Amino acid sequence: MATERKSHPLVDAERPNLLEDRFPHTLPPLIRLSGPVVEYIDGIPVQFDFGTIKNRDIVITDTTFRDGQQSRPPYTIDQMVHIYDLLAKLGGPSGVVRQTEFFLYTKNDRETLRRCQELGHKFPECTGWIRAVKGDFRLVKEAGLRETGMLTSCSDYHIFHKLKFPSRKACIDSYCDVVKAAFDAGVRPRCHLEDVTRADIDGFVLPFIDRLMEISDKFPPELSAKVRLCDTMGFGLSFPGAELPRSIPKLIYKMNRECGVPSDRLEWHGHNDFHKVHVNGATAWLYGCNAVNTTLFGFGERTGNPPLEGAIIEYIAIKGGLCGIHTPVITELADYMRSIGLPIPDNYPFAGKAFNTTSAGIHAGGLRQDERIYNIFDTTTLLGRPPRVAITDKSGADGVAHWLNEFFGLKGDERINKIRVHELARWVIDQYDVEGRLTSISDQELETKAKEFYPDYWARCKAGSK
Amino acid sequence: MATIEERIKQVTARVLKIDPSEIRPEHSFAVDLGAESVQSIELVAMFEKEFGIEMEEDAALSVETVGGAVDFIRNVCKMQGVKTEG
Repeated sequence: MATERKSHPLVDAERPNLLEDRFPHTLPPLIRLSGPVVEYIDGIPVQFDFGTIKNRDIVITDTTFRDGQQSRPPYTIDQMVHIYDLLAKLGGPSGVVRQTEFFLYTKNDRETLRRCQELGHKFPECTGWIRAVKGDFRLVKEAGLRETGMLTSCSDYHIFHKLKFPSRKACIDSYCDVVKAAFDAGVRPRCHLEDVTRADIDGFVLPFIDRLMEISDKFPPELSAKVRLCDTMGFGLSFPGAELPRSIPKLIYKMNRECGVPSDRLEWHGHNDFHKVHVNGATAWLYGCNAVNTTLFGFGERTGNPPLEGAIIEYIAIKGGLCGIHTPVITELADYMRSIGLPIPDNYPFAGKAFNTTSAGIHAGGLRQDERIYNIFDTTTLLGRPPRVAITDKSGADGVAHWLNEFFGLKGDERINKIRVHELARWVIDQYDVEGRLTSISDQELETKAKEFYPDYWARCKAGSK
Repeated sequence: MATIEERIKQVTARVLKIDPSEIRPEHSFAVDLGAESVQSIELVAMFEKEFGIEMEEDAALSVETVGGAVDFIRNVCKMQGVKTEG
């Protein structure tokens, strides 16, 4: 590659250029896309125009109650109904959170679904999840669902070693029989191509999708089969040049343009085994999948799924507006999840207790000058979470009092004044002056001390959070 | 019973870790006796405990000298009905 150096003259300025067209602060930083992207597929350069995404009906689908429950003890019915209600509030009237799926096998599964349906929300639409067994469509019909997911695993690991089919043909024949049964029952099938990023794309996946499309063409459009691309082990790769079966761009291209599965019937379902889960979902959106399947806070099998709240922020950044999304519900959901025992790490984006807490050396005074310096966007308005300052030897009694009042949720005349916090302020100072500490003090440490020094407030705080 | 001034000197000596005999009414807590920010808060808290009173935060922290503290606390004790000197 040529290395001819280019000169870059300084553009001097006496007023700051804060790039506010891309970093509006009132919204998450906007994702601006320009120019076509080229991917070489089967040796031919193929162009993708990411700019079209602003006009495509991209959506978020949810599997908190299905995949999300495969990584934790079951939710109670009341908990699921409450979460469903909050999902509806979060996604808003245009259905950015478009669908969520339910198990249908137990009495509790069906009771949960019934109570969610009774709430009368248009979105997220309730769909089912069943095995690829013909008889199970009766459950779907009885539950009044128009769509159900069904397992159509497609790597040879699954076809031969798990499902014990004698051949790929026998496998496809079986899947297609079940798909036909779905059509006969008047239910739209959503075929979950399990382990697709480890499958023989040309030898099995594309022939199966070809047949699926042929069958679908004989039925009304509202029943046409959907395809969920399941990156079951998190092997998917987002970057250009990666080879199939791991390449997300190539996989979507093959489905979309070679097999003719339209974007509104394509969905991506990822796993986080290689720390790629969110960006892989966003990549699927860009390359032509309209739906990204997610779970709240990424809870899901093993390392989890694309986090729903991450997709929400990405959606806003791509679309350039809230589109009816009610972002403060992310905080409401996080608080609720914590209250029912789901751990969310303190540094977890958008929802962790310390996600917008600045580290040692950055003072409240600096934040007061211009919050934008250290806050990713207006988290107070969008998430109900003002930026915070970590407690260090520079915080003083004012900082300690601020921390305590926020921690205990005290407002107005209830707030503890700084004279009352002298024990904790002393403990903080001694950490540095006596113990020789050099790091900021964590919330966990402060919480322990808050419990020790202020048992009355602690009791009130704990009682209030139940 | 010790006087208000004696009790204030004892508390001040304990918090600032100095000899009470070195403390004089004209001494500034910060400049002469070396009280740091958190120690000023501790002094107010300890005076409240010593006298069984509650002081308004900003007013209490604006008192600069030992003699000023004697006058301020005597006044607060009177207003809150707390008996101090026999």
